[in-house]
Amino acid sequence: MRNNHNNPSSSGGGGNPPKYPKKFYFSRRKYCVFCKDKIKFVDYKNYKTLDNFVLETGKILPGRVTGTCPYHQKQLSKAIKRARHMAFLKFVEPKRG
Amino acid sequence: MKRKYEIGFMINPEASEEDVKKVIDAVVGTIQKTEGIIENIDEWGRRKLAYPIQKHTEGIYIFINTEMVGSTFFEVERRLKLSEKVMRFVILRLDDKFKKANKLTKRWKRLEKLSRKSQENRDESSSRAESGKSRPGAPTDREVDDEE
Repeated sequence: MRNNHNNPSSSGGGGNPPKYPKKFYFSRRKYCVFCKDKIKFVDYKNYKTLDNFVLETGKILPGRVTGTCPYHQKQLSKAIKRARHMAFLKFVEPKRG
Repeated sequence: MKRKYEIGFMINPEASEEDVKKVIDAVVGTIQKTEGIIENIDEWGRRKLAYPIQKHTEGIYIFINTEMVGSTFFEVERRLKLSEKVMRFVILRLDDKFKKANKLTKRWKRLEKLSRKSQENRDESSSRAESGKSRPGAPTDREVDDEE
């Protein structure tokens, strides 16, 4: 009984790695935050929302990462640049350490 | 032709309240000379800056919404540039930005209709499909054994 039981495990470990059917990962679909809230114009004054679309170093995140539509991404990048000018956000600075 | 504008500027933190009033009155005065309308004045007060400007870490923020003629834009700009108390300023034309959004609003309406329809369909189909659910086949180890 023991031998029978051990056989399949030993054969799997010795040769090629076991073949499982391909795994599918389901990630939640990205969506445009501004379209969801129906914002027509991205304002540079509410810097707290703009801060979500900027890296720690101050770089603007691309639309394909955040999921914003091209219409809003265009406005967003302009709004961030205006916010930088008015010192709501910082300019891009190199990483420390 | 009058258009909607938004004027935002930041004043030196060392300036007294009188100085702040002077700057605001200068901007408001130039707008009212050419029969512009001032909708509201928003004073944020002192705020920390994200980075130091002229060795200051704070600034006094003021935003003015107006409706004025295009030619006064340049006068307001000139005034803000010349005054020493103002550190930074931004002047925006607002009205044309909302016109472009018409396409979007149409799209949003269409999407709302679609989502409503799909929800109705789901409610109908879910009652039917609950009984006939079939799971995809679980992964089997048998194939490995065949190879040896």
